[in-house]
Amino acid sequence: MQSVFHKNRIITLLKEQGIVIAFIVLISSIALVSDTFLTTENMLLVLRQVSIIGIMAIAMTYVIIGGNFDLSVGSLLSLTTVLMVDLHDKVGPLGAIIIVLIVGLTIGCINGLLIGFYSLNSLIVTLGMLPVLQGITLIYSGGKNVIIQNPEATWFSIFGRGFILGIPVPVIIFLGMALIFGIVLTKTIYGRKLFAVGGNQIASMFAGIRSKSVIFSTFLISSFATSIAGIIMASRVMSSQNNIGQGYELTVIAAVILGGTSLLGGSGSIFKTVIGVLIIGFVNNGLIMLGFPYYTQWLVTWVIIISAVWIDLSSKRGHVFA
Amino acid sequence: MTKKIVSVLFLSLFILIALVGCGATDSSTGNEGNKENNGDEKSNNEILIGITQNNVGIDSYQTTYENAFKDHAEDLGVRTIVLDAGGDVARQINQMEDLIQQNVDVIIVWPVNGKAIVPAARNAKEAGIPVLITNSPIDESGFDMVSGYTGPDNVLQGKLAAEMMIEALGGKGKVVEIMGLPGYVTSAERSQGFREEIEQNSEIEIIETQPGDWNREKGQRVMEDFLTKYREIDGVYSANDDMAAGAINALKESGRLEDVKITSSTLFAVGYDAIKRGELYGSVQQSPVEDAKLALETAIDIALGKEVPFFNYFETPKVTEENIDQFEKPIF
Repeated sequence: MQSVFHKNRIITLLKEQGIVIAFIVLISSIALVSDTFLTTENMLLVLRQVSIIGIMAIAMTYVIIGGNFDLSVGSLLSLTTVLMVDLHDKVGPLGAIIIVLIVGLTIGCINGLLIGFYSLNSLIVTLGMLPVLQGITLIYSGGKNVIIQNPEATWFSIFGRGFILGIPVPVIIFLGMALIFGIVLTKTIYGRKLFAVGGNQIASMFAGIRSKSVIFSTFLISSFATSIAGIIMASRVMSSQNNIGQGYELTVIAAVILGGTSLLGGSGSIFKTVIGVLIIGFVNNGLIMLGFPYYTQWLVTWVIIISAVWIDLSSKRGHVFA
Repeated sequence: MTKKIVSVLFLSLFILIALVGCGATDSSTGNEGNKENNGDEKSNNEILIGITQNNVGIDSYQTTYENAFKDHAEDLGVRTIVLDAGGDVARQINQMEDLIQQNVDVIIVWPVNGKAIVPAARNAKEAGIPVLITNSPIDESGFDMVSGYTGPDNVLQGKLAAEMMIEALGGKGKVVEIMGLPGYVTSAERSQGFREEIEQNSEIEIIETQPGDWNREKGQRVMEDFLTKYREIDGVYSANDDMAAGAINALKESGRLEDVKITSSTLFAVGYDAIKRGELYGSVQQSPVEDAKLALETAIDIALGKEVPFFNYFETPKVTEENIDQFEKPIF
């Protein structure tokens, strides 16, 4: 009796945490070959490298659970980074952060209004927003790179370069936000409403949930998180190219999907998104540690991602092939 | 059966019309072009030069190039049509067709893609309009279609960075390379120039090459990975200053900047400051103003019927702490 109970628990665990198992397999196999890979130094490095993508990905998880996409996050990252860097020397760090957050939230409001309240398709709205934001970035900067003149002399450097108790600040922000996002999603009424809306918007309306506001809020959250990511990015590189962050939306969405969040909405988890983000980060870092020539890295990345998804799926199904 | 025959007939009719149509326009513009070219010596204000650029506004180099081009044309009193392809190959080909239609004297092209514009260059040649390639090379299959190339010698720029690296390290040590976007001719040529010089004239070992995609943030990430992987790095070669700046960020954080010499192949404003601070050993000046001027002047020579060499390189001097005061800080 006892052993059957245990067996069932292990099976349930395997079924639910397939992606985590894939992640562990990945980490251990890279560690077997490279001796610099599994060091605290390298682990912290990867965590810091993925924190920007990660912050965007946990917010994207909300958007996707709500049944939508936000393709504008990559170019919003460009815009907020360029704004942050440029305004830093003009109005000071604090003023710049406030302006960046206001701009970010405004973009989120526009996306949210069109998608939530006017029920336009999120792919179209945010795909349209993508070049708009790129255009604004280019108009604002006049095509020139902007830099912060004295990167050493500003407290602003703490966001991207600082350490607290030996842990990089971007990592603390990332994991802190992931914790809050995770708790809100699983333990609050808002979280349950979001799952309901993503699962079936019409049913949720009959259940008395103001689904439009919920959708609206997810885009606000997404653009807020992207603005935070932009601030960290600005602090990390202390300068900005106009095309910084371009194409990030796909990496972000890939990380979320890798974490098992349903593209159709209604299911997903912040913890697994974090695992998805880590897989992408560790693959990129691990391939360099292993010394793969760069032109094979793209192929290898694809193979690893597909294998991870396969392990995840086959553990859910209970057998290797469909 | 009849349906099939009818459709085949229609199809052949279409093809016929299309062929005749194209042929007709080609030959007519061709004649006009030839007539003009055979005319008497022109003065500058009779010359009309069209340019289609790669992607103005995407970086400061191209923005500065465009402004310098317009200014210089005004100074020389040449009429110009300045277009920008916005990084879109199809649009660039359309713009070349438009310029052929407008019967300009010379078309300058900053190729978005060195291969894709070859057919458009052939059309221009058949229409009797010379094409001059600027900044980025055209594919070798297009060499016969164009009158020449102006721009930087990227192999040389890689070689110059290697010379500075050899000088900085005294001819031996371990070096990592951060190259540009793979698949881009400039990336490959700079890398080639750097490697050849290092291999031939020093005992320096290039321990690894990774792309930084011309991007500072990516350059920083790659350097961080290198620093974790290798305990011993004596030098970093970065294909441009933006990625070098990223590498410097990473080196500073790990406290290893003192032990490492960095050289780069294009001087940007960040690199200028970094050389002054002693963080960057040396870079190579590639001025968009010189680039634009050379393109325009060569185009004018072609329009006037003068013989020009196929490859026209503008000078790209080495910049180190010793001679940096002779150079202006780049605005990009």
